[in-house]
Amino acid sequence: MNDLELFPYPKNRLQKTDLDLAASLQNLVQKEIVDKRLELKEDYEGLLKPNLRKLLVEIGLQRMFWPESLGGEEHNGPEAAYTVAAALEQVGRADTGLAYLAAHNLALQAALAMRENLDTEACARFAPLFCDGRGPVIVSFLLPVFGEDGKAPTWRGKSFQVKARAASGSWILDGRGVRPTCSGVDADLFGAWCAVENEEQPAFILVPGDASGLSRGPEFKKTGLAASRNADLDLSGVQVPLENCLFRGETEYRRLLSWLYLGISATAVGGLLAAYQILKEWGDNRVIKGTGNVFKENPLTGALMGEIAQDISMARLLAYDLAGMLADPPSFGDAGSDGVFTAALMIVHQVLATAERAIHRTMELMASAGYAKEWQLERYWRDLKTVQCYVGSHELAKHDFARWFYGARTL
Amino acid sequence: MIKVRGIDVFSRPLEYLTPLGEQVGEIIREWVEKEVIPYRREFDEDYLEHRLILPPFKKLLGEYGIQRILFPEDLGGWGLGHSDYLCVAAFRMFEEIARADSGMAVAFGVVFWPLVLICCEPHVNRRLCEEFAPMFTGTTEPVFSCLAMTEPQGGSDIENVEVLKGSTIRTTAVRDGDEWVINGHKLWPTNTGGVADLMAVVCTTNPGSRNPEDIAIIFVPCDRPGVTQGPAYEKAGMAADKNGDIWFENVRVPLWYRACGPGDDAKYYGEVVSLGNMGSIAFAVGVMLNIYEKLQEYVNRKTYRGMPLKENDAVAGVLADFAATIEAVRIIGYQCARMCDRQDLYGPRWTPEIVARARAHRYFAADRALEAIGKVMNLMECFGPDRDWDVEKHWRDIKMVQLWLGGKQLSQMEVARWFFECETL
Ligand SMILES: Cc1cc2nc3c(=O)[nH]c(=O)nc-3n(C[C@H](O)[C@H](O)[C@H](O)COP(=O)(O)OP(=O)(O)OC[C@H]3O[C@@H](n4cnc5c(N)ncnc54)[C@H](O)[C@@H]3O)c2cc1C
Ligand SMILES: Cc1cc2nc3c(=O)[nH]c(=O)nc-3n(C[C@H](O)[C@H](O)[C@H](O)COP(=O)(O)OP(=O)(O)OC[C@H]3O[C@@H](n4cnc5c(N)ncnc54)[C@H](O)[C@@H]3O)c2cc1C
Repeated sequence: MNDLELFPYPKNRLQKTDLDLAASLQNLVQKEIVDKRLELKEDYEGLLKPNLRKLLVEIGLQRMFWPESLGGEEHNGPEAAYTVAAALEQVGRADTGLAYLAAHNLALQAALAMRENLDTEACARFAPLFCDGRGPVIVSFLLPVFGEDGKAPTWRGKSFQVKARAASGSWILDGRGVRPTCSGVDADLFGAWCAVENEEQPAFILVPGDASGLSRGPEFKKTGLAASRNADLDLSGVQVPLENCLFRGETEYRRLLSWLYLGISATAVGGLLAAYQILKEWGDNRVIKGTGNVFKENPLTGALMGEIAQDISMARLLAYDLAGMLADPPSFGDAGSDGVFTAALMIVHQVLATAERAIHRTMELMASAGYAKEWQLERYWRDLKTVQCYVGSHELAKHDFARWFYGARTL
Repeated sequence: MIKVRGIDVFSRPLEYLTPLGEQVGEIIREWVEKEVIPYRREFDEDYLEHRLILPPFKKLLGEYGIQRILFPEDLGGWGLGHSDYLCVAAFRMFEEIARADSGMAVAFGVVFWPLVLICCEPHVNRRLCEEFAPMFTGTTEPVFSCLAMTEPQGGSDIENVEVLKGSTIRTTAVRDGDEWVINGHKLWPTNTGGVADLMAVVCTTNPGSRNPEDIAIIFVPCDRPGVTQGPAYEKAGMAADKNGDIWFENVRVPLWYRACGPGDDAKYYGEVVSLGNMGSIAFAVGVMLNIYEKLQEYVNRKTYRGMPLKENDAVAGVLADFAATIEAVRIIGYQCARMCDRQDLYGPRWTPEIVARARAHRYFAADRALEAIGKVMNLMECFGPDRDWDVEKHWRDIKMVQLWLGGKQLSQMEVARWFFECETL
């Protein structure tokens, strides 16, 4: 039995094509990433970049939702949520950062090209970029953050990083020291949730990476996610066509985030599955307490391994629960509804908290080996923590939960 | 610059403090501000060469002469091996260094770790002090020691002296005339990777034996023929501590290089374990003190609805938890240090009782610190993992404090064994 199948997930809900995709991704990433990572470590040019291309362009994750007429695969019904989960946990197992980037790409596709809310005009404008086979499209978002310097307007307690105003047929965007959710160095397309001058309604505006007035700072060092080389941006009078505003409504924005959180949850599950495989190899062979007592047979360490497996299972079930909610709007509501969005936010936070605990425990069990780059575990530990921080402060998310469940109004 | 309260707001048991510890603490504070903090963001990439890491050590250990402190005064040392305030003073020093870089604090602490076996009452080995003091006192270059316990097949078992009694040690010391001949392979000791000048090696004189008399801790100057050190490993953090392999191939040293002698080596091994745990708490506290400073800057500078972030009740809850963790862990740490100092009150620090207490204090402290720092990183969102805020570095570094010294689970077993009188764990 494939050891990843040990962990429960609603296999019955997945289409054959999802299972096939997961299986081929599993093989691909094993050969192209997992088997090479000891040698290539987290090398961006040597390992991560070529594999991003393989995943997005050759396997075609970046074509998934777009209409066939525009070169996409038009796998754009809500059931695609399962596909996203199944694919990204496989990618996340190989490299959390790559899956995190793919999650961004897929979330943008979902926001524009879902069958139910297909934005034909936007698809026609942007699908070619994703479908022309020329290269991977690195998508990054410029979202509100908690505790912006100054007095920026806020969305659910977070301050907008980018301000927009409409002027003579264009949007003009400004923002200084803007921190993207990923890939500030490499992104081809930034999706900015902007405060709009003199208006209540924010706007979600796409900014091409080569837009004039957009400058990227130097790559900054960070804990993990080597695949996402990040840098702060300055937007100074960046001008984009009015049509680059994809939506103004909160529902659409929440929908984008719900899909992003699904992708990120699956990414984290992938990281945990990798940690499982690393610990398994270790626990099968490591002897403690003198001779003969294999690590996994020790009542204490065995129990901890059991607890880790429990955590991984729960995280996986939760991620697929979210997929199930997004896959079935008639039962649960639109992905952009407050209820589904809140659930998505709860799930991504819970999955990441569970991941943090499980991988901390895995490190404990592997002691120095867990801490050594050679054993590869520590990169998942760094990556998952980084993802958790980028998803945002748990404190503010809890306010969202309180808004939804208790009707809090002023938080 | 926003004026905020500094790190000295956190409680310490004032009645335990010593003038010397405080004085040296101040010196170290100045040293870290000038020599370490400005450069530490580059340390990760310097893990192999230590181009940035070695010069500040030269100043602290060599030029200020702190590497001498344990040796008797008549041998050019400061005589702290005879004091009953060594640990509290060390706690203060470790905290101050860890505030800048806990990897450096470890490398610093381990300079003294094996020397405890020969410099401290009641088991001063005068002849070895005379032998090795000049290495440390006669130079302004930094001199490093290491304590080599861990082996490829496992570290915890070797530290699990009470149960395994040295039976898993594979590094052998065979007597040949008036010399030991040492063969074996160690890995991970702090200050390896070519750093150490002197090591204490945990060996067996009779492989597989469960007789504590067969555990031998033998000093080996690193330039002896047959000693080979590999390059430093690449790790998640703690770049300022180099760890690598050491191979011993027919390494010869005089018989009297054995630290304390048959039976006593095993006995006083407990002492280095206690002190290692005590020091680990100081590393965790030092790190948290610096994160407190960073967090002060963050929550004062960042705003939320027009007010500093700290004025938001939800944020304040996280801040309070962090402050409460520092308060509690720091007091535990100083108490642990005091317990190790005042053996007249608490009993000898090498006994299973003190080992268990120190392990309990350490793993509790490390767990709390990690949890608290993890929450701070999360509060800082995308700035939490950003190297420029220094918090993530501390998070990566301090994870090791939880993992070393036999791992957390061995600690749990030793604690349970002592407090609940378990017999077969
Ligand atoms: C930065 C750094 C500095 C270090 N410094 C030193 C040093 O100065 N000197 C030195 O000798 N080593 C040093 N080490 C090595 C470290 O002390 C060991 O890694 C540690 O003791 C654990 O040993 P191990 O990695 O071999 O894990 P193992 O011994 O294989 O342990 C693996 C797991 O098993 C658990 N376990 C072990 N025994 C039991 C038991 N009886 N019951 C239940 N669970 C158990 C452990 O808790 C751990 O979770 C250092 C390591 C690092 C990374
Ligand atoms: C066994 C027992 C013995 C007691 N003994 C005594 C006694 O001897 N004398 C006496 O006077 N009382 C006593 N009390 C009462 C007890 O001290 C109060 O219940 C307590 O102070 C909380 O007050 P409250 O129940 O009115 O809750 P509230 O004051 O209504 O608080 C409710 C919640 O709001 C939170 N909260 C309050 N203020 C803030 C704020 N500014 N910011 C954020 N959160 C906030 C609180 O933490 C709490 O979670 C006793 C209670 C019990 C059960």
